[in-house]
Amino acid sequence: MIPQSFEYHVPRTLEEASRLAAQFGADGKFLAGGHSLIPMMKLRLAAPKHLIDLTCLRDLAYIREEGEHVRIGALTTHFRIESSALLKEKCPLLPETAREIGDVQVRNRGTIGGNLAHSDPAADWPAAVLALEAELRAVSPRGERGMAAKDFFVDLMTTALASDEVLVEIKVPQLGHGTGAAYAKLHHPASGYAMVGVAAVIALRDNGAVERAAVGITGVGPKAYRAFAVETALHGKPATQAHLNAAAAHAAEGVDVNADLYASAEYRSHLARVYTRRALEAAVKRARAAATA
Amino acid sequence: MKIEGSYTVQAPRDAVWQRLMDPASLARALPGCEKLEPNADGSYTAQLNVGVAAIRGNYTGRIEILDAVRPEQYRLKISGKGTGGFLNGEGLIMLAETGPGTTEVRYSGDAQVGGLIASVGQRLMQAAARQIVGEFFQALGREVQSQGG
Amino acid sequence: MATALLGERIKRKEDPRLIQGRGHYVDDIVLPGLLHLAFARSPHAHARIKSVDVTAAQAAPGVVAVYTGADLQGKVGMVPCAAGIEGLKVPEHPCLAVDEVRYVGEPVAVVVANSAYTARDAVEQVEVEYDPLPVVVDPEKALAPGAPRVHSKLADNVAFVAKLEGGDWKALEAEPGIKVIRQRLINQRLAPVAMETRGVVASYSPGEDLLTVWSSTQIPHILKTQLALMSGVEENHCRVIAPEVGGGFGSKLNVYGEEGVACYVSKALGRPVKWIESRRENLQATIHGRDQINDVEVYVRPDGKVAGLKCWIIADLGAYHQLLTPAIPTLTALMIVGAYHIPCVFVETKGVFTNKMATDAYRGAGRPEATYIIERVMDLVAAELNLDPVDVRMKNFPSPKDFPLALPTGVTYDSANYQRTLKKVLKAAGYTKLRKEQERLRKKGRYLGIGLSTYVEICAMGPSSRMPAGGWEFGSVRIEPTGKVTVLSGTSPHGQGEETTFAQIVASGFGIPYEDVTVLHGDTGVVPMGIGTFGSRTTAVGGTAIYLAVERLKKKMARIAAHKLGVKPGELEFKDGKVQTAGGEKAMRFLEVVAEAIFAKQLPPGVEPGLVEQCVFEPANFTFPFGAHLAVVEVDPDTGEVRLRNYYAVDDCGRVLNPMLVDGQIHGGLVQGIGQALWEEHVYDENGQLLTGTLMDYAVPRAHQFPWFETATTETPTRVNPLGAKGVGEAGTIGSTPAIVNAVVDALRPLGVRHIDMPLKPEKIWRVLRSASAA
Ligand SMILES: Cc1cc2nc3c(=O)[nH]c(=O)nc-3n(C[C@H](O)[C@H](O)[C@H](O)COP(=O)(O)OP(=O)(O)OC[C@H]3O[C@@H](n4cnc5c(N)ncnc54)[C@H](O)[C@@H]3O)c2cc1C
Repeated sequence: MIPQSFEYHVPRTLEEASRLAAQFGADGKFLAGGHSLIPMMKLRLAAPKHLIDLTCLRDLAYIREEGEHVRIGALTTHFRIESSALLKEKCPLLPETAREIGDVQVRNRGTIGGNLAHSDPAADWPAAVLALEAELRAVSPRGERGMAAKDFFVDLMTTALASDEVLVEIKVPQLGHGTGAAYAKLHHPASGYAMVGVAAVIALRDNGAVERAAVGITGVGPKAYRAFAVETALHGKPATQAHLNAAAAHAAEGVDVNADLYASAEYRSHLARVYTRRALEAAVKRARAAATA
Repeated sequence: MKIEGSYTVQAPRDAVWQRLMDPASLARALPGCEKLEPNADGSYTAQLNVGVAAIRGNYTGRIEILDAVRPEQYRLKISGKGTGGFLNGEGLIMLAETGPGTTEVRYSGDAQVGGLIASVGQRLMQAAARQIVGEFFQALGREVQSQGG
Repeated sequence: MATALLGERIKRKEDPRLIQGRGHYVDDIVLPGLLHLAFARSPHAHARIKSVDVTAAQAAPGVVAVYTGADLQGKVGMVPCAAGIEGLKVPEHPCLAVDEVRYVGEPVAVVVANSAYTARDAVEQVEVEYDPLPVVVDPEKALAPGAPRVHSKLADNVAFVAKLEGGDWKALEAEPGIKVIRQRLINQRLAPVAMETRGVVASYSPGEDLLTVWSSTQIPHILKTQLALMSGVEENHCRVIAPEVGGGFGSKLNVYGEEGVACYVSKALGRPVKWIESRRENLQATIHGRDQINDVEVYVRPDGKVAGLKCWIIADLGAYHQLLTPAIPTLTALMIVGAYHIPCVFVETKGVFTNKMATDAYRGAGRPEATYIIERVMDLVAAELNLDPVDVRMKNFPSPKDFPLALPTGVTYDSANYQRTLKKVLKAAGYTKLRKEQERLRKKGRYLGIGLSTYVEICAMGPSSRMPAGGWEFGSVRIEPTGKVTVLSGTSPHGQGEETTFAQIVASGFGIPYEDVTVLHGDTGVVPMGIGTFGSRTTAVGGTAIYLAVERLKKKMARIAAHKLGVKPGELEFKDGKVQTAGGEKAMRFLEVVAEAIFAKQLPPGVEPGLVEQCVFEPANFTFPFGAHLAVVEVDPDTGEVRLRNYYAVDDCGRVLNPMLVDGQIHGGLVQGIGQALWEEHVYDENGQLLTGTLMDYAVPRAHQFPWFETATTETPTRVNPLGAKGVGEAGTIGSTPAIVNAVVDALRPLGVRHIDMPLKPEKIWRVLRSASAA
């Protein structure tokens, strides 16, 4: 691995990290698990002049429950999320998604914050945080702010984060009674990323109708997105197979669908519909189980 | 790689055309344009730092405007090379007035990319191209507005 | 420390150091004053080089020198090709392109610097001006009249045309009732992707006029000869060392331009130099595999008996010949009838130049293509005549009594029992039950597929008369004064585990613990001669040389012991660390005999002191391992995804010397063969740009994608060598690819599907499903 040369910085505090980033502007990059940034540097697609290593900010790696939310520090690795007993109980969609990321080595190093900040069009976390309607919290020299997941992903590998903003926390509302969630993914045979990944959260009313649906889709367009058309199609309807099918048909609506060697835009749109249907089916099943539990 | 799409600019067609032909406006609108100099033969030599997010490269190249039919259409020919490899492209740009003070710019062309980007950026290329073109038209729209049409 | 017998499941001697990361690969070689190389490569598939400006690169701090193709002209030999084919056109292949580049990734200049980082940075400052030339990527288009020529000095893009014909075609074509089935099969381009990329360290000492080269190679001795010729250093002043090599799969059975350049630069500067290939370079500029178009015509009788096979092969060779490039497709022709008694054969092989990286040997090298053709043919016949693929195969197998069996292709199969392996795999898989399950699931709209492949391959390469440059192998065995045994082998194992197998051969021969045996290989300064490791030859040919050297030593030791014990040499056996008479009444410890031989106090008359013997084994024939594989797949009707549910493999590689190593070879081979069927494809666009330039795009198979493989063996020994071993290095790859494709086509048979080309990506299958449901 022979990247272009760069300077390496180890800030002691969050403030120092974002101050350094503000100082270097476009020439600086944060480094978390390095599993997106370093491959790009290795290929010389990216050549930041300054790397600001966040991994020493250990208090940014945590998973805890606080009231109606679970809070996950941005530097928490995929593996810790995958294996967290708390999350398995309170928000199983997160471990379920984590399990699908890369391989063991990738999960041991890669962080949820780095994944979201990088916003690869085929990364898994964006789908999950969209469907969970999570809040992403960031700190810069200008202070701290929170962003709704749906406003966070702006374009291809472009997020709402300013270059000196450190993503610090993913704040996830806990799912209520009668709510189920699921992640359905087709792995790209080479990269392991999502050819399509669909996270679905479904809340059912006592009468079995859909109270709330939230669907996040990754791998399909230049950025992960909320499939609002799918959600609208379900709202208030009974969660029958026919309605799920009909709703899933909207999965790729209005999206500039990606094409690569493994899937044309046409096929990928089809995959988006099939995997959306599957995610919805699984989420409904779990919602029903949760309602009777 | 096929690149096509359209973009609507809130300005009359003549104004849009003028901006598209004006080196100074172009230099401002072209993403990452560091230099744009007219050559004796009517073409331009450009120096760009383009890319998406952290993926950036420096390119130098030649931009030619051919077969211009004012204010309707022209052919654009681009060739450049840089750290990310080389790019040769040719496309047709068409301007249509779709309403009072709105112009739709349609573009369609073929780009041949070689070297680094071609061999490692396969899966991102189309989306990246779309994004860069989008940035250009957005900036162009601002240009037209700021120049008062 | 028990005596290890041949046939035992013994853990690999090499694993502790490899698993603990304590092996030494080329990149671990560090020498004082070491300089680093980086290559500037062409981004164009075909272009004239207008100018190369190295001023900026040369001026960069830390850069010692920059050389272009022009600088090296006349100073380094061409990249060699060893394939001897009649009428073969061999275009000039300089180590660095001189005035034209012909594929993306072709090296045009080399930067020498004091660190790998500096060298890599400076490459970006080498300014090359190119004038693009017309590109030809598709080999069929390359054959069309007026196609752009890859080499303007040649009249066209045809490197060679070879024909192979046998049997009475006239009679067959006139035969009433004969049916002809035609099909085009495409064997896509693949990347070998060894875990360790290529690498070379070259160190020239002007005082001794000595060139030492460490290279990640499968053929140190051949490389030594070729680098001597290329660099101009006399061969007896050259030494090549293959340290630990992290896989090759045929891609390191080669001599590369970068190696020639490294030798030149070290000699020119009088300093050691190192080059380590990046993965991106590896995908671009290390040889590729396969890439054939096969048009077949099958002549079949109504009862399913295949009476004739014609095949037109278009082999995409890429832009230049590497060491064996044109020879690979000729192996396809040689093995095209597979495990079947097909009396009439016709094969025309056309090697074609295109603006791509050269193809060459990749695990199986020509035989996977042959197996794919004939095994698809058997299933096409079964489908056409509505017969069970098992029956078609059984009908066409020769009887075990027919061996040795001379074939119309000109080869003689040594020994086989194809019926036995097929029956065994059917039993293991529960074939009849599977077919019933298939029927049941079909009624529910599910697509279960069962695919067979009953392959035969050609191994233990091979008799020198049929090899480009010698097919023998060298082995020597030396017993040290302490009784420890040192074995030298001319083969060059690079992950296969022959340090273990060879130790087993020696230890079981002498009746001593296998820990007492050390195997040295891969160093031309230590091993006097050798051919190398490829073509599943290492054990069958190299192991035999060692076995015979052991036999010679045993004869000598028996004479010495007999002299001491007062018995006849023929009465003695080697057992449990002793040399003894059958019942053990008279015995000497192994070490005592060794001492007698080396201290030479009381040797029998005419016996030389010392215990060292060598053997150069020349095999009389190839060997022909075979097997029967069965794959069970299910196709997702919604998306076209293929799930491999079960895989059964029964392989017969002759006598099994270590079942664990055979399992290992089979497992790894299966993964690569299945990878080709389902995922792998090296893709160039129409401009000759390589689109699968990283492992994010080129789909190397991974462990989690596979079910557990159910493997078993049968043992049909060969008489070609005294070990009875045939070879197993490539079997898994050769056998598995058609089993998978046959299974997927079988799954989709109710939809009228006859064939789908590899790789069986879900989108292709989805399109088939969609058009079937539309119809
Ligand atoms: C072989 C392989 C397979 C993979 N497969 C998958 C997969 O299947 N699914 C998937 O989703 N991902 C996959 N990944 C990517 C992996 O999950 C990465 O770890 C992740 O995308 C980035 O996280 P990181 O911590 O490694 O970030 P880094 O690589 O260190 O950083 C990525 C980017 O985010 C920025 N950044 C990092 N942390 C912060 C922060 N706290 N605030 C602001 N900016 C920040 C960096 O500046 C950089 O631009 C794979 C990676 C590899 C190497």
